[in-house]
Amino acid sequence: MSACGLRALRGAMEGIAASILCTCDADGLPNVSMISQVHWVDDDHVALSWQFFNKTRANLLATGQACVELFDPTTHARHRLHLDHVETRTEGPLFEMMKARLAGIASHHGLEGVFRLLGADIFRVTGIELVAPPSALPEPDRPPLLSSLRACIDDLARSRDFDELTDALLDGVVAHLRIAHVILLMAEGDGRLFAIGSRGYAASGAGAEILPGEGVIGVAARERVPIRIGHLSADYRYGAALGAAARQAGLLAEEPCGVPFPGLGDPHSQIAVPILSGGRVLGVLFCESPEIMRFDHEHEDALVLLAGYVGTMAVLLGEDEPHPADATPEPGQPPACTVTVRHYPRDDSVFLDHDYLIKGVAGAILWRLLREHAATGRTEFSTRELRLDRSLRLPDHAENLDARLVLLRRRLQDRDACLQIEKTGRGLFRLVPSCRIALQDMGDATAAMPA
Amino acid sequence: MAGPTYATPTGDQAAWRDASPKPGCLPIDLVAFVQGGVAPILGVRTPDGRPLVGSAVACRVREMRVLRVFVERRRHEALLGAVAAGSAIAATFSRARDHRSIQVKAPAAQLGDPSPDDLPEIARQCGLLLDELLELGYTRPQAIAYTAFDPDGLAVVEFIPERAFTQTPGPGAGAELRR
Repeated sequence: MSACGLRALRGAMEGIAASILCTCDADGLPNVSMISQVHWVDDDHVALSWQFFNKTRANLLATGQACVELFDPTTHARHRLHLDHVETRTEGPLFEMMKARLAGIASHHGLEGVFRLLGADIFRVTGIELVAPPSALPEPDRPPLLSSLRACIDDLARSRDFDELTDALLDGVVAHLRIAHVILLMAEGDGRLFAIGSRGYAASGAGAEILPGEGVIGVAARERVPIRIGHLSADYRYGAALGAAARQAGLLAEEPCGVPFPGLGDPHSQIAVPILSGGRVLGVLFCESPEIMRFDHEHEDALVLLAGYVGTMAVLLGEDEPHPADATPEPGQPPACTVTVRHYPRDDSVFLDHDYLIKGVAGAILWRLLREHAATGRTEFSTRELRLDRSLRLPDHAENLDARLVLLRRRLQDRDACLQIEKTGRGLFRLVPSCRIALQDMGDATAAMPA
Repeated sequence: MAGPTYATPTGDQAAWRDASPKPGCLPIDLVAFVQGGVAPILGVRTPDGRPLVGSAVACRVREMRVLRVFVERRRHEALLGAVAAGSAIAATFSRARDHRSIQVKAPAAQLGDPSPDDLPEIARQCGLLLDELLELGYTRPQAIAYTAFDPDGLAVVEFIPERAFTQTPGPGAGAELRR
């Protein structure tokens, strides 16, 4: 194999330039075609997309051999790869990565519905030849990613709780990685994800939901693998699935009243990286851009490293002992106005008067705090007591609670609601009502909410 | 505004069926297509039995039946060696703007050198391809690099196609073109 190694050729596998492929049948008759996707798998393997039962497919099954020529759009080098077929995968992370990219490529070329991934053919690369040497230097169009990543991690390391970690991550992606549109989502136990914060949008979107498997975010979480596309296709757009699912379930007569997803109206490039810890999906770091092919392999590497660091820190911060901050002033007496807080136990959705606020575990936490406040007048709480409260049915892991408290606090902030949650130290917080709160448990009633 | 119109495999089949070339000649539609700046690519089998692919520069048609495909010698020594050793050959021509793709195959090919009058025609075809790549979203430096060739380092791979196939994406892609 060439000294440059396969990893150095990833730039030629971004899908900007078409590649070409040759196979032979058992009698030695060649077949040659252009292909849209050569997918880098690891230092020894690439994958090709199997889309049709055609001559290429028949030849591969007959001989197991292929040859590909790549053109690097940055250096203008051409390389030839000699390939031996290893296996075909029809599901799983690699398949889903390639499926998402293929859908985008097809959409970009007006061939939506024509290209459909039947399988990911994995090949061992048995040889790499330089066909035409590089004739251009890469344009320095961004700061070195390793240095940018270091700056991100320096900022993350200063975070004292999950709230600060969220802000450090989102700000770091914008400031150091120069990615203008970013959303952090955390996972519910049932496969849904909810946005906890964002940068680069008119509204933060805290509380917006992504259904399991929806768009690049849902697929990245389900498959535990980064999903990166340079041309967005309709198959991976957000929003439509949520409303459609709710209407199908008969839950909605009108448009859903949940929190709108904050994404760009017309994105072309998207990348979703799962945040993993101990094999669990904690959430997804999502970036997008109106430019085509905005994110490359190097961005993916950087965001995966960042997500890994965030995953570890989120768990560690959740295990910290409570620690009061410097004295924070007690709030004054609430004014005389009254807001009715309605709680629907079916999905723990909470409404302030008739306006939807939040649901799920975050809704259950808020309702628990408000009941306690109504019964005893308490306003000071700790995350530890919530963690020990079995009625909240919290998932086992500490960072889940932290994420939900951050979500709840930000959602109340976004709404400029009549009650707020203030941090009073690490693991400690205060409920701050600015009016009288009346509680109404809605029993078996169904809220007009998306499923 | 209406979107771009893309070619279809059934369109290729109909065009082929309706063409009425002289015996032994290629349909005029195909002759025009392969000389239209459509990024020719070649496939052969090496003497040790492996497939080998190579991008070519341009194509001219002689006597309405012989394809003359121009390739860079220094890039494609192994491919030219395979042709010299008697490999069968496949060539595919793809037009960027409508995805029309036609593959032709022959049991053997011969090697030759370009003649001086080939160069202006090669340059014309590369110019057409460059424009198509720009339309497709390539930057100018990318398109220039993709279509660049060394006029002093070209070889010609000549063959008479025996079979033709549509490779335009869509239902029917890969079908042999017959009358």
